Amino acid sequence: MTATTRPPHQRMPEPPRELWRPISWAVLLVLVAWSLWGLDARWERLLDAPADLWNLGELLFGDMAFDRTGDLLGDMWESIAIAWLGTIMAAVVAVPLSFLAAENLASRATTLFVRQILNILRAVPEVILAIAFIPLLGLTPMAGVMAITIGSIGTLGKLFAEVTESISANPIEAVDAVGGSRIQRFRWGVLPQVLPEIASFILYRFEINVRASAVLGVIGAGGIGGTIAQTLQFKQFEVAGLGLIIVVVATIIVDIVSGAIRRRILRGPNRAQVTD
Amino acid sequence: MTAPVDRLPPRSRPSRFAIGSVIGIVVLTYLAGRAVDFDLSGLVTDLTRPNSVIDGLLDPDWTQIWSRRSRSAFIETLQLAVLGTTFGAIIALPLALYATDYGAPNRIVRSGLRLLNSVIRSLPDLLWALLFVSAVGIGALSGLLALFFFSIAVISKLTTDTLDAIDRDPIEAGVAVGATNTEMLRTAVLPQILPSYVSFVLYGFEINLRASAVIGLVGAGGIGERIQFFQGRGEWEKLWGLVILFFLVVLVVEQISAFFRRRLV
Amino acid sequence: MIRFSDVSVVYDGGVRALSNLDLEIEDGEFVVVVGLSGAGKSTLIRAINGLVPLTSGSLQIDGREVTDLDRTGLRELRSEIGMVFQGFNLVDRTSVLNNVLMGRLHSVPTWRTVLGRYPADDVAVAAAALERVGILDKARVRASHLSGGQRQRVGIARALAQEPKLILADEPVASLDPPTSHVVMRYLKTISAELGITTVVNLHFLDLATAYADRIVGLRAGELVFDGPGSECDAGVFESIYGRSLTADDTMDNQAAL
Repeated sequence: MTATTRPPHQRMPEPPRELWRPISWAVLLVLVAWSLWGLDARWERLLDAPADLWNLGELLFGDMAFDRTGDLLGDMWESIAIAWLGTIMAAVVAVPLSFLAAENLASRATTLFVRQILNILRAVPEVILAIAFIPLLGLTPMAGVMAITIGSIGTLGKLFAEVTESISANPIEAVDAVGGSRIQRFRWGVLPQVLPEIASFILYRFEINVRASAVLGVIGAGGIGGTIAQTLQFKQFEVAGLGLIIVVVATIIVDIVSGAIRRRILRGPNRAQVTD
Repeated sequence: MTAPVDRLPPRSRPSRFAIGSVIGIVVLTYLAGRAVDFDLSGLVTDLTRPNSVIDGLLDPDWTQIWSRRSRSAFIETLQLAVLGTTFGAIIALPLALYATDYGAPNRIVRSGLRLLNSVIRSLPDLLWALLFVSAVGIGALSGLLALFFFSIAVISKLTTDTLDAIDRDPIEAGVAVGATNTEMLRTAVLPQILPSYVSFVLYGFEINLRASAVIGLVGAGGIGERIQFFQGRGEWEKLWGLVILFFLVVLVVEQISAFFRRRLV
Repeated sequence: MIRFSDVSVVYDGGVRALSNLDLEIEDGEFVVVVGLSGAGKSTLIRAINGLVPLTSGSLQIDGREVTDLDRTGLRELRSEIGMVFQGFNLVDRTSVLNNVLMGRLHSVPTWRTVLGRYPADDVAVAAAALERVGILDKARVRASHLSGGQRQRVGIARALAQEPKLILADEPVASLDPPTSHVVMRYLKTISAELGITTVVNLHFLDLATAYADRIVGLRAGELVFDGPGSECDAGVFESIYGRSLTADDTMDNQAAL
């Protein structure tokens, strides 16, 4: 002991016994152990994996087929178009649906029912939906659009409902107080508060959907995913590599642009404006 | 004296931003519609035509739960999700910590890690699966590797956002005490974000469950292979039976996970 | 032990925080720095442990030139200097003990820190520090559950746990009410006297400064304008530091009575 400190005369209080800690760790360990033991994976390939990946990397990016850039960009545009249309269509359906799911606008029974439907729609991944739409619409981009639409209605509906529920009651009361109709209450009380956030969520979902639609092509529903899958299968690695890069770059660009627009929407205009 | 109504300030025009947005939306939608050959009436016709897909959906075959192959595919899907999330979470935390402006030892590391994070995040789950199947071959190992990278993407993004918003004061205390970078991160930063981090890991697990269901479509293990099998044979009632059963499980897991996540934050 | 020689600190944008400062502080002294906001008090304190780099001049601590230190050297220097902050700078979400243990980081191996398994000796030092400021019983309590005065005592305990040669306190009582301020200042004074730790404190209120300081250093616009015992602080000295006459705002007890 140095001159700075002496051993304490009192006893320090005991640490609290938190049972949930060891229990959680135990559960986690059991799950991981069960999974590791049960998984039928060729673990010996794991050692080769870095080398395999490196080889693949060289094949993909070593000597890319830049002559196909135009085609690939067209495919990426198709994926973006699929994502955009799907998001817009989902928003068109989700907005009215969400007002039915908002507890401050609709009855309890209605909201419960609608919310369950939205939950179910959210649960299924777009790819599986696309598999279902292909026999109906053929191996076309429209199958992808429908998959994205159905897949997004659930999330958007839920997000919109939450936004609607979180608005202030004051403007709504104000409309009621001056004797406004239900539509006017909606137009003046609800909409102005809700519009920026709704727009922001739509864009956010669009960013996610761009990733989803890039992948739908893998099962034939249009877009760059199909090109990548095919070229990988037929060992045209130079094309696949370029396609992957295009996906990454395009996704990042969409994220940046969409992010900037979303911030602008939520921040509001710079100059104070006289409102009419 | 002019009447008050003549002295009103001029009405504001909608901002350029608003006008630009509306035009942008319309143009984009039109161009997108052209790109996919959008045909509304054809769409309605196709969707309302009787077909075995909808029939199967309305009358699913629940006996899939007893089929040996489907059951093992089911379990494999769960195991892939558990392992992928666990290992991904372990890597995602330091990756996010050392990519912050206060945690990165120098600017090069920080920019490099941020770039790496961006790239990893922009690849969807199925593309990861495709890559690994091409590199390592068909089977559960590819699926595991794909989910591993995919969870790093999801978890590190959420964690980074939280890390950017923490209270910086304890960090100053950590520096003033003479701690190394790692020690500072461990004592001043980690306690602030640990509950959120666990919540993100749980969320990542939910995402991985969904992802692991589909990566089998490209041969990376899980029920995806069964789904493709049934699709190829047109056995829609079996496909939907399997899919619906699986996603009922996912829904239950999500409720449990949401319960814990609410209590964490 | 602390020697400023012709030290100047100029921030980006041209703000001259310190101008040609010459100052020597001996071991064991209890020095209080006073001056208006922006006079350079905070810069002076933060220059001592290298949180603020010097623009020119030399700063020696126990013969070590601070400007020559690399990252490892700075860490070592800082491990010997305890710092108490105006905003307490505690980790609110964790226990008081864990906060104080941050003072032991320099001597505990990194792997132990990462796992959270601190050696018993270091925990004992932390406990002793807590006892010295009278809150050992709160060791397991979450820091966010404490009052302002208690939190600052944890801050002092954290500094003490470093077993430092020097304690720096940057406006340690600015966020506290008058009675609590006196409690905290008393702890700082007693610790400095009993353990022989050199202490440099920034204070806003002159009466608090004269009550506790052996020696008062007055800064104005980055320049040293007064250096002497509190007894010499008359109205004339005051005007040279603050550029105006004493008002109620400048003394804590008077302001409290307002």
